[in-house]
Amino acid sequence: MHKRHVFVSVALFAALLALAVASLTPMALAAASPSPAAEQGTPVVTGTIPNPEDPRGLKGWTGDQVQVNFDPNGAELDLAQCKLFVAEIKEGDTERIYNEQQVTEPPRIIPAVSRATSTLQFSWEDAYPEGDYAFKVDLVTTEGVTVTYEWDFASTGSAGSGSLVNFQVMKDWFWFIARGGVVTVELTVISILFACILALFGSLGRLSKKMTFKQAWDRYQSWGYMWRMVLGRIPYWIATFYTSLFRGTPLLLQIIFIYLAIPEVIKTLGLPDSYNPPAFWSGVAALSLNYGAYLTEVFRAGIQAVPKGQNEAAWAIGLSGWQTQRRIILPQAFKIVIPAVGNDFIALIKDTSLVSVITVEELLRRSQLAGAATFSFMSTLLVAAAWYWALTIFFSFWQAKLETRMARDKAREKEKGKAK
Amino acid sequence: MGTQTYAHETITDDKGRELVVKVENLQKYFGRNHVLKGIDLEVYKGEVLVLIGPSGSGKSTFLRCLNFLEDPTSGEIRVGDVHVTCGSHGGKFKKDVHEIRMKCGMVFQEFNLFPHKDATENVTEGPILVKGVKKEEAVRKAQELLTKVGLGERMDFFPSQLSGGQKQRVAIARAMAMDPVLMLFDEPTSALDPELIGEVLKVMKELAEGGMTMIVVSHEMGFSRDVADRVVYMDDGYFIEQGPPSEVFFHPKDERTRRFLRHILPEKEPEHAKELGILEVDQELPDPDADPLQHEPGAALSQDNLHDTALPDIPLAQGPSGETPLPPGDEKL
Repeated sequence: MHKRHVFVSVALFAALLALAVASLTPMALAAASPSPAAEQGTPVVTGTIPNPEDPRGLKGWTGDQVQVNFDPNGAELDLAQCKLFVAEIKEGDTERIYNEQQVTEPPRIIPAVSRATSTLQFSWEDAYPEGDYAFKVDLVTTEGVTVTYEWDFASTGSAGSGSLVNFQVMKDWFWFIARGGVVTVELTVISILFACILALFGSLGRLSKKMTFKQAWDRYQSWGYMWRMVLGRIPYWIATFYTSLFRGTPLLLQIIFIYLAIPEVIKTLGLPDSYNPPAFWSGVAALSLNYGAYLTEVFRAGIQAVPKGQNEAAWAIGLSGWQTQRRIILPQAFKIVIPAVGNDFIALIKDTSLVSVITVEELLRRSQLAGAATFSFMSTLLVAAAWYWALTIFFSFWQAKLETRMARDKAREKEKGKAK
Repeated sequence: MGTQTYAHETITDDKGRELVVKVENLQKYFGRNHVLKGIDLEVYKGEVLVLIGPSGSGKSTFLRCLNFLEDPTSGEIRVGDVHVTCGSHGGKFKKDVHEIRMKCGMVFQEFNLFPHKDATENVTEGPILVKGVKKEEAVRKAQELLTKVGLGERMDFFPSQLSGGQKQRVAIARAMAMDPVLMLFDEPTSALDPELIGEVLKVMKELAEGGMTMIVVSHEMGFSRDVADRVVYMDDGYFIEQGPPSEVFFHPKDERTRRFLRHILPEKEPEHAKELGILEVDQELPDPDADPLQHEPGAALSQDNLHDTALPDIPLAQGPSGETPLPPGDEKL
C-alpha cells in the first residue's frame, strides 16, 4: 500500500538525517566555537595565514605578512610584547632555527565580525622567497600570560599561473570548500525542519481567532467569557507579533543580532560566556525563525485551503477540535503546502550564505578564506558558486520528483477506480 | 455511552414511541439577519421528517443547529437524553454539544468524505477516535455497514475513485458507524447526477424501514411521499405547516405552501400536480419569466420576505434549459 511506502521513506529520511546531523555537527561546532577546555584569560589560536591545512602549500602567500586568528577568551593582548619568529626549513634539517621577524609596524588587531575570533597581523617589507618555513608566535596578554603557537608551512610546488581563473587553485582548494558545502546542507536541513515546526504552531496561532471581542460581547454579555477569550487570544497575538517582526526585519540583521546581541544579554545576566550561542546554532536559530515566519503564512493558507466541509464532517462524527486538526485538516494541508515548502527549501540553501558573516565555515565563508589565502577570489568563489548551483539543481530535482509522485498517486487511484 | 449529565425520564407519545428530538423556541441570528424565528419541534423514535421550503427559508440552518454546526442564538434542544440550552457557553455546554454530536449522524450535500482516507477508514475514524473502539472491531463493523449500503466491493477505494452516489453512500455508512439515535440529511441528493439519485434514496429508504429516526432536507417528492411520516413546510424562518405527506403535498392549508408546491410539483410530480389542479394555475401565467408571486392575493403575511426568498426558486419550476413549466397533458417527464 502506498501509505506504508510513504511512512517507510519518511522514516528512512529521518534516520539518514539524524545520522548526518550526529556525524557532522561536532565538526561544524568545532569549526565555529572555541575549545571549551581553554582556561579563562588564555587566548587560543584557531587558525593562521599562511594556512598549513592547505595540502599543496600556499602558493599565493605574499611572504610579507602573517595573520594569526585567535579566541581572546576574555584576555586582552599586549601588542608590543607579541612576537613572530620565522625559521627557514632546509632538506635534512632536524631542528628549527628561529629568528625574530622584524616588523615594519607594531602588530595590530584586524577588526572582524566575530565575537570569538580576533586576528593579529604582522607585516614587513622584504618578502620571503618561495620555500618551506616554520613559524612561531608568542601571544602575550596584559596579564602576562604567554601563549606560544608553532606551525610549519611549505610553499614549494607549482606556483599559481597568475591567470584570472586559476584552475590549480580551484583544484587544490576544492575539497576545502566542499566541506563548507556539508555545513551549508546541515544549516539548510536543520533550519527548514525547525522552521516547519515553528510554522505549524504559528499558523495554528494565526488561525485561532474565531470571533472579534465585540461579537463575543454581543453574543454572550459575560465577563467570564470575555476573560477566557482574552487568554485564548494570546496564541494569536504571539503568532501575529512573531510573523510581523521576523518578516519585517532583514535576515542578515537577525543573524548578527542573535550572534552578537544575545551574548550581551548573557553577560548582563551575569552568566558565563559558555552560555553564548555557538555561531552555527545562532545561524540555525536566525534562519529557522525567519523562514518559520514566512512558512507560517504558507501553512495558514494551506490550512485555509482545506474545504470547510471537512471540519464540519469531522465535528459531526464527534471529533474534538484537536483531533479534527491532527487527523483531518493537517494531513490535507501538508499535501497542499509541499510545493511551497520545497521552494522555500531551495531559497534557504542560498540564504545560508548570510551566516558566513558570523564565522560559520559554510560554503561562502570557506571560499572567502581560500580566496584570501590564495589571492584568487575569482577561482574560489566560482567553486562556491558551482557548489550552490549543484545543490540547488539536486534538490530541485527531488522536489520535482516528489511533486510528480504526488500527482501520480492521484492518477493511480483514479485508474484503480476505473478498473473495477 | 459514557456518563450522562441528564437523566430525564423517557417521554413517549400516544403510540408509545420514545421522544428523540425536542426543540423549543429555537432562534438563530446571522449578525442582524434573523434566520430561525422560534422553531418548536418534537420527533419520536422511528419517525421520518422531511423539511421542504424555498432556499433561504432556514431549512439547512435548522438542521445544522440541531448538531451545533451552527451555534443557535437561543432556545432549547434536546436529543435523546441530552438537553442543551442554546446561547450558553463553557465546559458543560461543550460537553453536552459533544454528546449531541455523537448521537446525531449527519449527511451533507457535498459528501465531505475525508479524501486522504479510503472508504473503510472514513467509516472507522469516528468509532476509533471518539468512542475508543478497537481497530479490528471498528473495521469489521465498517465492512458490515459498507456492504449494507452496497459498497462491499469498494471498501479500500479512496473518495476520488468513487462516483457521487457511492461517495454519498459511504457518507451514510460513516454517519451510521457512530450508532446515532438520529440521522440528519442536508439535501443529500442535490449534488448528484440524476441517474445516481436513486441509489442514495434507496439506502435512505432502507434506513427508514429499519426504524431509524431521520430528519431530511430534500425536495425529492417521491421519496417524501413514500417514506416520510411527516412533511414540514418551512418559510422565512418559521414552520408554516406540517402533517403527513398526503396532507401537506395535496391538501396544503397555507397559501404559501400552495404557492411553493406550485413551483416544485409540476417538475417533480406532474401527475399529482395535475390532480391538485396546480398546473391550471400555472397555465394562466401570461409570462413564464414574470414573478408569479408578485400580485398573489392573500399573501399578506411577510409578503416582502416571501418575495425575496422565493425568487431564486423560480428556475426550479422551469426545465433545466429554462423552458416553461409543463403545460397540462404533457407527460413527457
